[in-house]
Amino acid sequence: MSLEYSLYPGCVATTREIGYELAVRNVYDQLDIKLNKVDDFSCCQPACLVHSIDYVKGLALTSRNLAVAEELDLPMMTLCSSCFGNLSRAKYMLDTNPRLKEDVNKLLGKAGREYKGTVQIEHVVTTLYNDYGKEKLGSDIVNPLSELNVAPFYGCHIFMPAKYSDFDDPENPVKLDELIVTTGAKSIDYHEKTSCCIGCGSFFGKVSEEASVRLAENIVRSAHEKGADCIVTTCPFCIMQLEIGQIKLRERDMRFNIPTLHYVDILGLALGIEPEDLGFDLRRINIDPVISKL
Amino acid sequence: MNVKYNYYMNNNYYSYQTTPMQMITAKELLNNLISEEKLGYCQNCGSCTASCPMAKVMPDKYNPRKLLQRVHLDPEETANSEDLWLCAWCYRCTERCPQGIQPTEIFLLTRNFATDKGVIPPNPQMIITEILRSGRSMPYDEFIDELRDDYNLPPIGEISERVLEEQRLIAGARFMEKVIK
Repeated sequence: MSLEYSLYPGCVATTREIGYELAVRNVYDQLDIKLNKVDDFSCCQPACLVHSIDYVKGLALTSRNLAVAEELDLPMMTLCSSCFGNLSRAKYMLDTNPRLKEDVNKLLGKAGREYKGTVQIEHVVTTLYNDYGKEKLGSDIVNPLSELNVAPFYGCHIFMPAKYSDFDDPENPVKLDELIVTTGAKSIDYHEKTSCCIGCGSFFGKVSEEASVRLAENIVRSAHEKGADCIVTTCPFCIMQLEIGQIKLRERDMRFNIPTLHYVDILGLALGIEPEDLGFDLRRINIDPVISKL
Repeated sequence: MNVKYNYYMNNNYYSYQTTPMQMITAKELLNNLISEEKLGYCQNCGSCTASCPMAKVMPDKYNPRKLLQRVHLDPEETANSEDLWLCAWCYRCTERCPQGIQPTEIFLLTRNFATDKGVIPPNPQMIITEILRSGRSMPYDEFIDELRDDYNLPPIGEISERVLEEQRLIAGARFMEKVIK
């Protein structure tokens, strides 16, 4: 039986990273994984923003999406790690605090919704690793990327805090490395592998903006020094931050050209999908260092 | 501040995990959070600051260990300070704190206190307004669907009025007033 999910599209992937969304859709088509469109989802209501106004109402607004997913009786799959982390956090909070769940359900009731606790939250990378399986993925590879040196960048919300998502070891994550090796590419170790792009905080003002550029410099420099051809992330927000970070660094006479891709991008290449079907012409950083190693 | 904490703590909104086998009572929790003597729950080890990406690149602007202390010692001052809004929610401090303190949750509750007093920086206010207005954190524009069409991606369109109405009903009038000015 083939896998099937409710697609939780999120804001970043569908409006600012549509090349990534295209890659997911084409890779999942090829793997025969079905993604269902759902009209009733809205923004995941990030804790750092909406929950700042009101802790409980913020959780209720986030949980509305979980209630929608429960009615469909399918696991929901997010495109973005931040949506995954935020939805997983809400689920954890409600499932471990019965009183909070009761209060949130009172609020959801005003909109005719109810959170039961049956929802299963997945992310592109967790579905590939846990549900599809890396062995099966390995057998699908037709075009091993044996020349490609990949710097894995885990981001934050897919594996941290472990009690919310329970996907990988929060101190020494390995699963993205394993998935990269599955494509035939080499996964390189570097200092900033588990650093943060500060994507979620980068819109808060001048200090946050400056921080995001400085972090991008650390990450890209570290990957560059270890001979990476590209950085591969789990999150569209990281892609956007590291690409735009490199563009801003040019104004400071720091010229890096490290393409930043999502895992599905290199998986797509290894599955024999053409670069234009992976949205590579929408990348902000020149992709040639990757293409030349195919 | 105490009233706000009391409200949440009485309702068990997060569990203080120093003693994982038993949930401490709301009164104890409140005392632990607020009183100066009980600040000892934080051992000042600095794991939070050492783990924090914001503190790493902006050490003179942000320090979660000190921010946590200020929340305890002077909540009023902290609620009005800019650095309360610099946490980017990577959760490294919450993951690593050896005492099980969850700085991310404490900062959120402190922000609740700030926004109750009408303190909200312009950028977060703008984005939250957008989320409540359109159902998305990134503004929708027709050109997005034109671009999506070029790549044979299905249109996303505006989020339906029914969904937005659900959001408004859940948030309630007071929440909307705090954000939309």
